[in-house]
Amino acid sequence: MTPREAALSPSPAESPARPVRLSQGDAGGGLSGTTESDAVLVARTLAGDLAAFAGLMARYRNGLGLYALHMLGNREDAEEALQDAFVRAYWALASCRDPQRFGAWLFRIVVNRCRTLQRRLRRHDRVVVLPDDLPTRGDVSETLGWREEIGRALDRLRPQYREAFLLRYVEGMEYEEIARLTGAKEPAVRMRVKRASQKLRELLHDVHAG
Amino acid sequence: MRLRLSLALAALLLIGPARLAGQDRRVADRLDPITAGEVQRLVDSARVVGLPTEPLVQKALEGNTLGASGDRIRAVVAALYGQLSRARAALGGQASDAEVTAAAAAIRAGVPADTLQRLRALRSGRSLVVPISVLADLVAEGTPPDRAYQSVFDLARDGRSDDDFLALRRRSQVPSQRAGPDAGEPPAPRPAPDPPGKP
Amino acid sequence: MTFMPGDRRPQPDDPTLRRVVAELRRPVAFDPAIDAGALRVIGAGRRRATWARSRRWLGLAAALAASVVIAVGVYRTAPAGPRSRPVLLRLVAPASSAVVVVGDFNDWNPAANPLEQTGAGEWTIRLELRPGRYRYTFLVDGREWKSDPAEPPAPDDDYGAPLSVLTVS
Repeated sequence: MTPREAALSPSPAESPARPVRLSQGDAGGGLSGTTESDAVLVARTLAGDLAAFAGLMARYRNGLGLYALHMLGNREDAEEALQDAFVRAYWALASCRDPQRFGAWLFRIVVNRCRTLQRRLRRHDRVVVLPDDLPTRGDVSETLGWREEIGRALDRLRPQYREAFLLRYVEGMEYEEIARLTGAKEPAVRMRVKRASQKLRELLHDVHAG
Repeated sequence: MRLRLSLALAALLLIGPARLAGQDRRVADRLDPITAGEVQRLVDSARVVGLPTEPLVQKALEGNTLGASGDRIRAVVAALYGQLSRARAALGGQASDAEVTAAAAAIRAGVPADTLQRLRALRSGRSLVVPISVLADLVAEGTPPDRAYQSVFDLARDGRSDDDFLALRRRSQVPSQRAGPDAGEPPAPRPAPDPPGKP
Repeated sequence: MTFMPGDRRPQPDDPTLRRVVAELRRPVAFDPAIDAGALRVIGAGRRRATWARSRRWLGLAAALAASVVIAVGVYRTAPAGPRSRPVLLRLVAPASSAVVVVGDFNDWNPAANPLEQTGAGEWTIRLELRPGRYRYTFLVDGREWKSDPAEPPAPDDDYGAPLSVLTVS
């Protein structure tokens, strides 16, 4: 299990007692209520069972939505990217060479949809979306403020730096994996992650310290 | 001639407007915007100049299902457009869409235009879909071209039926192509699929 | 999700960035309506694919009917257009659980024409096809493309998958 596969497992908000699991196989039910593996759901989808595809979408919606949200900056655009990716994935499903790793294949589609949307985005401010796991009301304003700052800082990164940073640290991908996904060479990916880290540190160090 | 005109007019009245206007939704729904735009442009051009459009759409959808990149799909559909153009030029304006489509496959396989024209002359008044399709398959499978042309010309000259052409093709197939359950080719290695929308 | 047991994702060295990353990893739930929206679009696409196939027949039938009316003043009778022919496709795949066919006759849609298991390891489907040339292939268990051993390989293999060609007279 790679870190990214772990990151793509159903959100603990849906099943808080579960440890992080592989993206396929025993996905623990989630919102879809199915325990069938990705490979089985893919095969059933290809045989005409749309409910099986609904199960796949439910399994991956939150994990992939999180990436789209941070990449695009607001829920509306993230939802558009997600829905678009789901539709494209359905029609291209027969080209998923390894249905056991459907989640990774779908993630590539989401990354590309985010890139396309990024280019034609209406420029509006990032909207802060609070996480699901806020433990107490008292944390809300502090969390809101911190997330706003993070959002603003992410917005100031070049898109390819933001993308590389999110893929590395939020999705947990190896540099080589990021290079394959984005088409950039590995040294360039490392540089992008480094530049993104430097910039975020500059922008947020004082906020954090303060 | 008058019958063809009446059929064409009736078809145009009932089917034409739906086809002439607007984008093909299958293309728009399944391809990334750049590829969809390019394919639609080729489809629109084909319609204007009297080339079959459906083969272009099917070729694009095929690429989508088989996981081809947008670049690849655009290149393949553009190449097919060229083959359809040459096929139309070889067979003339009276040829049906199905005949032009089959001829494009033959041209792709390396059959010269004048061979198609000769076949047209030998089989005047009858559909060329099956003879041309069989010719394309024979040449593509490796039958020496001159032998393939002669076999097909002979059947056409004798006024033989479509089933006779199909029988010719079956006789020429190598044994593995007519064998039992596991004789299908192993899947060719597929290029790594690029997700739709890849820049 | 932040630092779950077994979470082996890399961590930045800098403490500020560690806090940033922890925040970015916190889960957010997305509306299941997204899935429903995708299913609506997919359903519309499937209906269009079915309708596009049916429309050729309906259009042809309507055109034939109209041409009879139009041709009354010119001809006494109007001959019918090309008719479809039944075609049986068959694949023997004993260890498989699902086989579909995609091709020029169904918009290469993997959901359109699943084969039926009709014998020990035998999968078949009956199609009604108008005269013409069709390229197609089988998809076995959603992961393996297989050409039809009963038909010649398609000479124009543009995308790297094994295809077959069928000519209907």
